[in-house]
Amino acid sequence: MKEVINSNWSTGSTSADIVIGLMLITAVMILCVAILMLKVIKFYVKESVNPTPFATPEEKEKRRLEQQALQAIKDKKPSIWTKLMQLKPLEEEKNLVMEHKFDGIAELNNPTPAWFMILFYGTIIFAIGYLLTYDVLGFGKSQEEEYIAEIEQAAESKVAFLANPANVKNAVNENNMEQSKDEAVIKNGASLFANRCTPCHGEHAEGLVGPNLTDEYWLHGGKAKDVFKTIKYGVPEKGMIAWEKSLSAQQISDLTNYVLSLKGTKPAGAKAPQGNKE
Amino acid sequence: MTEKFHYDNKIVRNFALATIIWGIVGMTIGLLIAMQLFKPAMNMGSQYTTFGRIRPLHTNAVIFAFVGNAIFMGIYYSLQRLLKARMYSDILSKIHFWGWQLIIIATVITLPLGLTTSHEYAEMEWPIDIAITIIWVVFGYNMFGTIIKRREKHMYVAIWFYIATFVTVAVLHIVNSIQLPVSAFKSYYVYAGVQDALVQWWYGHNAVAFFLTTPYLGMMYYFLPKMANRPVYSYKLSILHFWSLIFIYIWAGPHHLLYTSLPSWAQSLGVAFSVMLIAPSWGGMINGLLTLRGAWDKVREDPKLKFMVVGLTAYGMATFEGPMLAFKQINAIAHYTDWIVAHVHVGALGWNGFLTFAILYWLIPRIYNTTLYSVKLASFHFWIGTLGIIFYAVPLYFAGFTQGLMWKEFTPEGLLKYPNFLETVLQIIPMYVMRAIGGALYLTGVIVMTYNLVKTMKAGQLVANEAAEAQPLPPVYVAQGDDKKLHRMLERKPMIFMVLSLIVILIGGMIEMMPTFTIKSNIPTIASVKPYTPLELQGRDVYIREGCVNCHSQMIRPFRSETERYGEYSKAGEFVYDHPFLWGSKRTGPDLQREGGKYGNAWHYNHLYDPQTMSPGSIMPPYEWLAEQKLDTTTTRVKINAMRTLGVPYEKGYEHQANADLEQQAKAIAADLQQNNIKVKSDKEIIAIIAYLQRLGTDIKAK
Repeated sequence: MKEVINSNWSTGSTSADIVIGLMLITAVMILCVAILMLKVIKFYVKESVNPTPFATPEEKEKRRLEQQALQAIKDKKPSIWTKLMQLKPLEEEKNLVMEHKFDGIAELNNPTPAWFMILFYGTIIFAIGYLLTYDVLGFGKSQEEEYIAEIEQAAESKVAFLANPANVKNAVNENNMEQSKDEAVIKNGASLFANRCTPCHGEHAEGLVGPNLTDEYWLHGGKAKDVFKTIKYGVPEKGMIAWEKSLSAQQISDLTNYVLSLKGTKPAGAKAPQGNKE
Repeated sequence: MTEKFHYDNKIVRNFALATIIWGIVGMTIGLLIAMQLFKPAMNMGSQYTTFGRIRPLHTNAVIFAFVGNAIFMGIYYSLQRLLKARMYSDILSKIHFWGWQLIIIATVITLPLGLTTSHEYAEMEWPIDIAITIIWVVFGYNMFGTIIKRREKHMYVAIWFYIATFVTVAVLHIVNSIQLPVSAFKSYYVYAGVQDALVQWWYGHNAVAFFLTTPYLGMMYYFLPKMANRPVYSYKLSILHFWSLIFIYIWAGPHHLLYTSLPSWAQSLGVAFSVMLIAPSWGGMINGLLTLRGAWDKVREDPKLKFMVVGLTAYGMATFEGPMLAFKQINAIAHYTDWIVAHVHVGALGWNGFLTFAILYWLIPRIYNTTLYSVKLASFHFWIGTLGIIFYAVPLYFAGFTQGLMWKEFTPEGLLKYPNFLETVLQIIPMYVMRAIGGALYLTGVIVMTYNLVKTMKAGQLVANEAAEAQPLPPVYVAQGDDKKLHRMLERKPMIFMVLSLIVILIGGMIEMMPTFTIKSNIPTIASVKPYTPLELQGRDVYIREGCVNCHSQMIRPFRSETERYGEYSKAGEFVYDHPFLWGSKRTGPDLQREGGKYGNAWHYNHLYDPQTMSPGSIMPPYEWLAEQKLDTTTTRVKINAMRTLGVPYEKGYEHQANADLEQQAKAIAADLQQNNIKVKSDKEIIAIIAYLQRLGTDIKAK
């Protein structure tokens, strides 16, 4: 059996609901009209008992002046700004002027505004709290502790990142690196090379400050794993920069593949071979 | 029985002229260095005009020449009138004027020559430091002489500020200038590393407080009520904010060294006192702005008052921003970026610049007994100046924020998103262009003002000696009524007032500095840290001479983003032999603290010779002359001896062997360069600076 959906607002029948709604609206309208009618009757009774004479021009003028005076009093009320700054009215200024002038400069003896004193004492209390937190009670972290926390956080995120199957490529390192001849990989490696390596190895890897990378001679090994390692950790004593901080593992891998693909390209102006033939 | 006497207006006029001239000079140099940041060719290929050497020229010219002369102009004018007395001695006034100008000229000559101590805003070498001390004493003597022979019973609030300025600047200058001379124009700071950094920023911060702030507050208290013809808003507020300002300001210096190897308690003191500074600083602003109550209709018409209002507002903004920047979390992003440059310029261009202009517009017509040549031009100056400030500051805030965040951004792989520092620089170059445009607008305004004032002077005649009269002070003074109150009594006792101010400012300075100097545990020593070799020491001096510290920091903060980018964060014990410290305050280029061993010698050679080859797009100027100039090794001996005097443990008699060691190390570097097809003799300066760069940060490197 299907249960009838019944909320507090509904009788269960749509037409009955509509009728009730209309009746409510009508009731409210009747109430409003009744109140209005009452006001009209009151006014009518008052005017019949005590009728108002038509205003003469003098009376009109008098009323205008009264209105004006009222407005003036209203204007005299301090603005929010004056209240906020706790300013005294300008007319009272003469009571505040101090007894003597300096080269014509008078000084008022206005009290310091309360908000200013709150700010002043507030910052003092804050400062005491700050010192207590960081250097007396030891609630706050020291900069060394902050640093350790930051590093730990980063290590955790990295583990989480590598745990994601989509990022497995980034798990490559100098022990599991395999050479790839995939064109997309080589192309990616080429653009990395153009950005990072040309100042030392030359535009076509012919060797400038650094060695020629296109011949068969290698200073630190020419296998994929060796090249990966050289790029990653660098050879600082010979001027080769360590790239592990600025290139991702995958980028180092791509770069390695590109460098290996250059073997035998014989660019113009190639530097003489260095290292061992491999 | 009034006394008749004359005010000395000529000295005021002279300082006014000096203010205008040095203002134009200082700002023009500022514009030049601003352009060097996006167009390295503006370094003009000469060692005397590179950014590193003339950036200090800009800061010193603006602070001590432009603002300095403006302070003396304002003080010499207002002091005489507030005390109803001519300056104590015309001769001292003259010595003060010409002495100060000579000091400036000496600075303009020596800084481009590379004669520098490298302490920011105090780069002048020791003979100039001594001259500054002497002239400052002359100024003080003249001022106190005038105060003592005054015809006014009490000292007005402006004078309190002048007194605090005088005593504090004297203390700051002397403590910050304690150096051991090694030759006529070379000296080493007595302090090393962390201690030197603390002294430098105690000085640097308080140069802002007591050279750029307190004298200007004093001048504001005289000139603003004069211009607006209104009474000063609150005497009570002046007392409160004067004493709290000078007491609290002196402690805040360490906020320049947050996250460095300065001991944590000193850093926290810096933060805490910076926060407490908000109200005392604002006290001056609200007292000024409320003085204008009932005179805002005048502000609408009078460019002088407009300058004053914008100046005061800029002061209020800068003094609110300061404490905010002092919070560790905000400082971590803003420090070393252009945010700080924007912050100081809101103060300098808005507060110091605009107040100076207002005073000049008010004072020149008066002492020339005429009216201002053109109010319209002054109005134009106001608008173009305001526009200049906006054009200057807004892009730099943006640049600072952008770069600060870029430095800290990581990729999901856990690598820096922008590992190449240069990338973050190239990103903000358009902002540098906008900043230069802002500077040019501001300078244009100053030139228009100069024209306007010259025309005014020509229309009038200098009243060199302005007649005045006043009652002399009674020989015996009997205090009555309010005069018996404590502060009123103090206002009659200038010497006691001076001593009290001195005590108030010494408390903060002593508490902060003494422990760092005396307690060993604040600077843990590291056994592997050894003194520099003679070649490295010489290379370090070349590094100092070229002003490398103006663009490169040597302080890696304990943040992941920095240790990933640069290497292990800096430890206090690493700097114990660094006289002076070279931590830097702005990174236009990367940090160099762990530079040693990162790149080969050849990389450094090429990079110094033409930075663009190793770092395409770099804005570093080429340092070709380093490869041509011979290293001066005749000084090695005295330098080693001086270092030993300062506590660097060179063995006894090592000075005789030093040059032999130097040559040996230099030859090894030259030979290594030779292997990389770079032919350079081992006696060139570039070899020494490479040796220094290769040593940096290697002492505590692992392995």
